[in-house]
Amino acid sequence: MLRTVYLILALSLLLVPARAQDSDLNALIETHRSDIEKPSRRTIGPVLDELVASGLPGVAVFLEHWREKKLWQRKSDGRFFFIEERDDGSIGLVDVDSGAEMGAAAKDGITNLKPNSGVRSMIASALVQFQLSDPDPQRRAQALTALERDPDASHLGVLRAAIDNETDPGLRARKERLQRSLTIQFGSDPATRVAAIESFAGDAGVDARAAINPLLATRVEVFDVIPDDLNIARVLEPGDDIAAEAAYQLLVEAGKARPIVALDARKQALIANLDDGAVGGVPVAELDTQAARDRAYQALAGAGAVPPLVTEAEQRAALEGHVFAEVYLEPDATLTAAARATLSDISSTVGFYRFIDLVLDGLSLASIYFLAAIGLAITFGVMGVINMAHGEFIMIGAYTGYVVQQVIPDYTTSILVALPLAFAVAFMAGVALERLVIRHLAHRPLETLLATFGISIALQQIAKNIFGTQARPLTAPSWLDGAWVINDVVSISHIRIAIFVLALIFLGLLLFILNRTRLGLEVRAVTQNPRMASSMGINPDRINMLTFGLGSGIAGIAGVAIGLFAKVTSELGSGYIVQSFMTVVVGGVGNIWGTLAGAGMIGSLQKLIEFFNPSNTLAAQTYMIIFIIIFIQFRPKGIIALKGRAAGD
Amino acid sequence: MRKPLLLREPSVMIFISLLAAFTLIVTVLSEGFGLGLVSTSMIKILGKTLCLCLIAIAMDLVWGYCGILSLGHFAFFGLGGYMIGMWLMYERTKDIVLGSLAGGALPATPQEIEDAIGTQIFGVVGGSEIPAIWYFADSLAAQLALVVLVPGLLALVFGWLAFRSRVTGVYLSILTQAMTLALSLYLFQNDSGLRGNNGLSGLQNLPGLTDVPQSIVSVWFFLASALALGAGYLIAAYVVSGKFGNVIRAIRDDEARIRFMGYPVEAYKLVVFTLTAVIAAIAGALYYPQAGIVNPAEIAPIASIYLAVWVAIGGRGRLYGAVIGAALVSLLSSWFTGGQAPSIPLGIYTIDWVDWWQVLLGLGFVLVTLYAPNGIGGLVDRLVRKDAS
Amino acid sequence: MSALLEVNSVSVAFDGFKAINDLSFEIGGQELRAVIGPNGAGKTTFMDIVTGKTRPDDGRILFGEPMMDLLRLSESQIARAGIGRKFQRPTVFETQSVRDNLMMALAGDRSPLAVLRYRPSGGDGERIAALAEEIGLSDQLGRVAGELSHGQKQWLEIGMLLAQDPKLLLVDEPAAGMTLGEREHTTDLLRAAAQTRAVIVVEHDMEFVRRLDCKVTVLHEGSVLAEGTLDHVTANSDVIDVYLGR
Repeated sequence: MLRTVYLILALSLLLVPARAQDSDLNALIETHRSDIEKPSRRTIGPVLDELVASGLPGVAVFLEHWREKKLWQRKSDGRFFFIEERDDGSIGLVDVDSGAEMGAAAKDGITNLKPNSGVRSMIASALVQFQLSDPDPQRRAQALTALERDPDASHLGVLRAAIDNETDPGLRARKERLQRSLTIQFGSDPATRVAAIESFAGDAGVDARAAINPLLATRVEVFDVIPDDLNIARVLEPGDDIAAEAAYQLLVEAGKARPIVALDARKQALIANLDDGAVGGVPVAELDTQAARDRAYQALAGAGAVPPLVTEAEQRAALEGHVFAEVYLEPDATLTAAARATLSDISSTVGFYRFIDLVLDGLSLASIYFLAAIGLAITFGVMGVINMAHGEFIMIGAYTGYVVQQVIPDYTTSILVALPLAFAVAFMAGVALERLVIRHLAHRPLETLLATFGISIALQQIAKNIFGTQARPLTAPSWLDGAWVINDVVSISHIRIAIFVLALIFLGLLLFILNRTRLGLEVRAVTQNPRMASSMGINPDRINMLTFGLGSGIAGIAGVAIGLFAKVTSELGSGYIVQSFMTVVVGGVGNIWGTLAGAGMIGSLQKLIEFFNPSNTLAAQTYMIIFIIIFIQFRPKGIIALKGRAAGD
Repeated sequence: MRKPLLLREPSVMIFISLLAAFTLIVTVLSEGFGLGLVSTSMIKILGKTLCLCLIAIAMDLVWGYCGILSLGHFAFFGLGGYMIGMWLMYERTKDIVLGSLAGGALPATPQEIEDAIGTQIFGVVGGSEIPAIWYFADSLAAQLALVVLVPGLLALVFGWLAFRSRVTGVYLSILTQAMTLALSLYLFQNDSGLRGNNGLSGLQNLPGLTDVPQSIVSVWFFLASALALGAGYLIAAYVVSGKFGNVIRAIRDDEARIRFMGYPVEAYKLVVFTLTAVIAAIAGALYYPQAGIVNPAEIAPIASIYLAVWVAIGGRGRLYGAVIGAALVSLLSSWFTGGQAPSIPLGIYTIDWVDWWQVLLGLGFVLVTLYAPNGIGGLVDRLVRKDAS
Repeated sequence: MSALLEVNSVSVAFDGFKAINDLSFEIGGQELRAVIGPNGAGKTTFMDIVTGKTRPDDGRILFGEPMMDLLRLSESQIARAGIGRKFQRPTVFETQSVRDNLMMALAGDRSPLAVLRYRPSGGDGERIAALAEEIGLSDQLGRVAGELSHGQKQWLEIGMLLAQDPKLLLVDEPAAGMTLGEREHTTDLLRAAAQTRAVIVVEHDMEFVRRLDCKVTVLHEGSVLAEGTLDHVTANSDVIDVYLGR
């Protein structure tokens, strides 16, 4: 309806030729010329109200130009114009109302009106009602965003008026939601405000809490007796709910008690009253304890030189003689009660979503650990070998991704190329390591651990020499940017979803390889009984080599995945190696499900500890490792342990 | 009747004599006490190396003899450094604070002194209160006791937990590594009470002895380190030479068998683990005053692995092997990374050893593991045996 | 004569497989007993349970004078209580000398601190010499155990067990891989040992069992199938079925 009106008006503006006589708008602004010339935040309000109330069609355009500093004034007669620059460089005047050409102007004949930011924001909020009903949905959305950011009592009515005509369901919902939260803040009738508050029950949105929370703002006050007419949040017990010092300070500020002379002030007073090597009869040399200083100060106070100390008994008596209470700034108790009830309802909803978010976070961390550790678990399970260079295979994968991106600029293609290439490179590195080193150290697991550590420091340094010490970017394709936002509490970034999917793929792939293929059968045979397997014609050397290659290759893939969200440096892998070990140890050796369980437990545990102590991830890791050490006490063989006589040896 | 240890094991006699001769020569040539041919910084390097040799002996005892590949002994080393560092830093700060407060109009109260010390030490991590763990920092005797007690207790508790659940082999190695990581991460926090990643610094200054020049102090520490190394070597030699040594070697070679012979394997492991942790802590308490600073990075898991590398290169299961390995690798390491080693120009690329030493060390270590599992000590053994036959 | 070892309806299962099924067994203070049975009859698991390596799911094991509950003790405590075990594969400490091997095995306080203070006394030296004499290794005392022949290692291990002075000796397939002469020597050792203590020999080799000339217990599927002299059990039709698969 309103839109049609605008359309007609706009058309009429185009069609109707410029009128010589002043239009209504021009007349109206002429009456407020001095305020418009030199607007101030204090005086401009009524002018804007009158402009808006006039309902004249050109008001919105005029206000927009004004706000954007595109309003000019002709010096000769003080009339307001818009301007346009002509092709020949001269300046044309445009009528504010009709948009008609009003002839040329000299540059020095006009002044640009530049209202200050305070005024501009007031103009902007006056403009809101026009924008809220703008035919362009995008502009309506922008106006809503502006309103959400900087709400004002005056907007409530405008907003309510703009809801009925809203055709877009999304915008309509937003308008209604905003209307409710504005009602909470600015509504005049307590009943509607309470209704608005209660309408947010169980709503996890940040805006809901932001609208309700101010109602529960309190200040601490001190009373002789609590008056009945105040909306009291709670009575504070000095020493329990409020520190005794702070409570006493309140008394001092309220003029109900003498101020305590601060320790430092007392010291300065002693220094000021130094007299012939003594203060208050106490020699300076003896003033090296607080007790002696107090004695000296009391002597001074006795002589009237300084204000006397406030004794502890006096402080206690003062505190006991008064009541301290938190008082709601909002006088209406029904409002605060409703707000409190609704907030507690919201907080249980939010708690639920937080838990969901925590689970998602834990899941995503678990999938990273799973990817990082599964290769290690396979090689450890099959060969009993701890590969300290596993982290460096992760690093190799990440650098492979980086190099591929240098060659293939398109991020999507380069990631698709990098994944198999990283697998191939790490696979070959793993096979080389197995053939050159590990094979020769069979049945000496501790030596293998150390030899692979030698490889690890060499590889790390080589990477440093080639790529330098600074971090190299591995950029995710744009479709992996952003996050899947469920509500204000629960969201998960696309990269993490992708890693989760990747982990699932590899879980499936490995289960398939181990349980459904010839290679898997042979691997399982070697894991369970190498001697028996080799007597049945399985070549354990070949199996070991392929297993090691496979484990390393997956580490390479994990490297690409980790590189997408972490910086690629030569230390990338070593940051994950201990966690990977933990995952394998906790999960139980030689079992994919074990690794999955280990990754799940460590990932969620780490997030859980971080949840309780969010400011300190270092401490979280410390506690987690301690937990693992204790866990090992109860399940030395991990969550999923091989049973039977063979497992004991 | 058994002969005394020194005569029974010729290697012990030889080692102690060599150590005594070396110590004497270096002292005579030192800047602080003698001819001035060995600079103060060199004395410090040598003194630190002696400490590293001592912890290498501990590592050899626990790994080479008892078969526990601990990747956590540098944690005990670092803790020892922290414990003595607390006293050094507290006392020195107290000296400074007392000096600056002496100019005030009134003599300072204990509270004022403590506040000033707290601000001095913990200002860097945004604190001013002295944490409770610094309760004994004012007493040298107490902190010296803590050098032994704190790492010893940690080793005792950790070892008890780990050994009683029969965690062995690479599992145990990883668990010790986890312990080290947990400790270093904990110390990295600013509210650990030990100045976070800043660590404790200024440890080279002996409180109350500010007039003694570093050239003299460094020789004192050098001598103390030599003494500790000699004592540590003798203790270790005593432990491994008798029946106890036989039992721990038996644990290394076949744990189940010796258990069925009635030996409480876990108790033996715990004794060795704790004893070596204490030796490591003492080595650390001597090392860090010479280094001047101890911080959590020192405790990082990689340091402990390097320790295993030294012992492996030197030859485990031989005490002198551990000493050779630690001395050789750590001195070579500082020579190469210090930029003194000549670069090798290869036309298109110049091998700069600062960049390539780690690669050389890593690959060299792999070669030692593959082709000389007994390390340098093994070569020595072979030479000696050839002479004898 | 009361029993030294009493095993009462013990059962243990690995992943559902019943390795030992309601087994009861008894042996007196000075007795030589052979335990035979086909593969998988539970012979080794039986030893594992008695020595504490495997915990049974069910049942009771009592040992000694007065009787004590073995299930409460750890492996090393059981060993100290007086049960010695010889494994199938000879396990001596190969990097150490024969003398050191025997010295470690000698009965005595096994706590770390006592061992640390330990000084070999004259009596210990004599005891080692006597044991070496008994197992025929007198001139090998200084050699490293790893250099011994297979049979010599077996004897050394038996010598180490004797040095422990156990009340009960469990011996797993002592004759495996021995020459005829070595077997005879081994038989003599075991029979001599059984004069002063209980000895349980697990063996496959019927010829060797015959040579031992003692009571025989036949195990099958984790429980006792027959017990008695060798001739008695070999005449038992159940035993024939099991061994010949009829």
